[in-house]
Amino acid sequence: MPTTDHPAPAAPTPPPLGEHLVAPTTRAAMAVQQEALYAARRYLRGQGFTELLPPLVGPVTDPGGRGAKALDVDYYGHPYKLMTSAILYKQASLRGFPKLFYIAPNVRVEPPETAGTGRHLVEFHQIDVEIADATRDDAMDVAAGLLTEVTRHVLDTVPDVLADLGRDPLAFTELLTGKFDVCTHAEAVDRLRGGGHPQSADAEIDWVGEETLSREADRPFFVTDYPKGSRGFYDREDPERPGTLRNFDLIAHGGYGELVSGSERESHYATIVTRMRESGENPAKYDWYLKAAREGIPASAGFGMGVQRLVRFLTGLDALWQVSAYPKLPGVVAP
Amino acid sequence: MTGVHAPGFPEAAVRARARHGTAEVFPAADGYGQRLFGAGGEDVPEPTDDLDAARLVPPVFMPQRLEKLIDLAREPIHDDVELTTTIGGFRSPLPVYVSAFGSTRIAAGDAGLATSRQAGRLGIPMVIGENLVPVGGYRRAAGSESPILARLRAYAAECPPQLGGVVVQQSTEDADSEVWNLVYSDPSVRELVESGRLAFELKTGQGAKPGLGGMTVVDAADAARLADRFAVRDVLGDGGWLRCATPGTFTEEILRQQVRFMRNNFPRARVWVKFHPGRDVGHAAATAWQAGADAVTVDGAQGGTGWAPRAFLGQVGLPLGECLRRIGTPTGCLLASGRIWEGGRAVKALAAGATAVGLGRAALLAVDTDAEHGLVRLVEALALEARLLVSALGRYTAAALTPDDLWWPGSPATTAVPTLDTIGGRA
Repeated sequence: MPTTDHPAPAAPTPPPLGEHLVAPTTRAAMAVQQEALYAARRYLRGQGFTELLPPLVGPVTDPGGRGAKALDVDYYGHPYKLMTSAILYKQASLRGFPKLFYIAPNVRVEPPETAGTGRHLVEFHQIDVEIADATRDDAMDVAAGLLTEVTRHVLDTVPDVLADLGRDPLAFTELLTGKFDVCTHAEAVDRLRGGGHPQSADAEIDWVGEETLSREADRPFFVTDYPKGSRGFYDREDPERPGTLRNFDLIAHGGYGELVSGSERESHYATIVTRMRESGENPAKYDWYLKAAREGIPASAGFGMGVQRLVRFLTGLDALWQVSAYPKLPGVVAP
Repeated sequence: MTGVHAPGFPEAAVRARARHGTAEVFPAADGYGQRLFGAGGEDVPEPTDDLDAARLVPPVFMPQRLEKLIDLAREPIHDDVELTTTIGGFRSPLPVYVSAFGSTRIAAGDAGLATSRQAGRLGIPMVIGENLVPVGGYRRAAGSESPILARLRAYAAECPPQLGGVVVQQSTEDADSEVWNLVYSDPSVRELVESGRLAFELKTGQGAKPGLGGMTVVDAADAARLADRFAVRDVLGDGGWLRCATPGTFTEEILRQQVRFMRNNFPRARVWVKFHPGRDVGHAAATAWQAGADAVTVDGAQGGTGWAPRAFLGQVGLPLGECLRRIGTPTGCLLASGRIWEGGRAVKALAAGATAVGLGRAALLAVDTDAEHGLVRLVEALALEARLLVSALGRYTAAALTPDDLWWPGSPATTAVPTLDTIGGRA
């Protein structure tokens, strides 16, 4: 538990699965997770969203980044991939379901060095939201509302669980106002560099930088306008400001880091193909998706909120594996 | 020897060096005292391009030699030339690296492994070429290794710590196979990653066939096996099938973003970019350096290890010297390959702006001649020759070479008059 007089061990690792499943912290985390998912579904359905069940395998998946890779499966002799994110399916589904969400399982074979970040698992889930004809501001509003509503519900329904975990409800006071700050990526870079952290202006905020910003805040905040080249081809480039993406992250306060990544999506066929090349991809690989894009996929905005990151933030536990019933750490082969 | 041959390339001289090493830098010693020398003849290969035709031109007055003399307190000799350098982020004892040779039949088998072992022993960087994974796979059943992993491990096993590095190329079809991701996250490669000795090379073209992708000849069975990943065409009659990789589409923005993508996604790997000898190679190189590439390779139109249409070999692409002139003064690490095998052409390329030179066909012929020592001997001969030439120019590091050290036939004298130096002088 993250209290100042009881520092967390540097790199805690999961016990054998049998022990982990009966640990009190695991039971507490599942109680919080269950309420969080209940509240998320209630909130999104209340906003007119339809829940779909996501695909698990496909010929391509989100190409990802930061060294995470997809797992291949043999699908009737074709090399298919387990979903690292179902973003492409979300976009394609908008034609039938203009406001949709998944509680989506994802598999990302993260590089082994991320095992110690406390924030990466190979298997995790996302609350995946997509809204047709929406702007970035619309998506940010939904993300902020979702986080506020889930937090309020968990505080209301399982306060004793949080108390047993040592999580002080006062940590959420500012969050519950629902008003989150916004800073641009460039501003975040300036702040980090001003504090002596060598953050690249062309790249994602690195893990140390993200944690630094997260610790300095007293409520969640948005970082917007990431530079092109730091994110996937589907994040829409700002037509008014080439090189800047119409995207955002929602960073939790208290050192818990990123909870949400989202953006306005690119829906223009020729731009999608060009952006694929810019990220080193071979468009032929994305045949089904590009056919859909040629036929027309709606403009949209959306995001993914990491379920385990959300529950870790709510519980205040030290590491992400503690809030997964079946944790798989990067680089560690586990059942 | 396996029957590999390289017409149009000084194959006999390369093989002789692979057998006899530094002895081949000079005429046969048993002719000493009897043989007289003149211009031309067997010791002077026919020029094949502008870089061959250029001459290294030592000046009479050598202020840098004076600096070295003062430093050493004796007259400097060629042994005093320091060739250690940094190539695309890797420390190397020589301004030499082994160029890519990809999935061709010549390169994919034992020759690739022998090259890896010897390049590792030398501590010089080595590039692993494209399409090995889509053609040969990555991880096979227990007891056998894929060609790319075998090469990586052979290199790492021989390479001294803190020296050298392996560069893994990727072209369009490799992107389908996610070669970089596979390598970057492979536990067996972790030591190279953690010691900063892994790079990825974005391949935008090759010297032998500028504007075309990789081409190899395969049999009908392989053509059928590869048809879902490559274009395979029945244009060679009974000789086999032509397997064509796509060249990839690049614009300035695509290149810039791909380099950024590499840096952001593989932060612990160096980023190399390889260009064919295109007419806009200067602009392309500047774009790559500006985007953060650790090295830019320009591959002159002098041939390669792949299969190329005849029309390309004779008529397409700028010669290497012209590429270097169009790039001008590099703003980053510039690597040059194309018909490099001995010290003269290597030093000319260095004087024209390159940080290091790549051995392609020469390396293959050397390991084909002697799988244990051929490349090591060839490189030792090149290094001795380079030291002799660099010291003759009054320089004592490769980086000290300048375009003033070159004369292009027909061009007016441009050599700057050295300013009088106050060191040890009376100016």
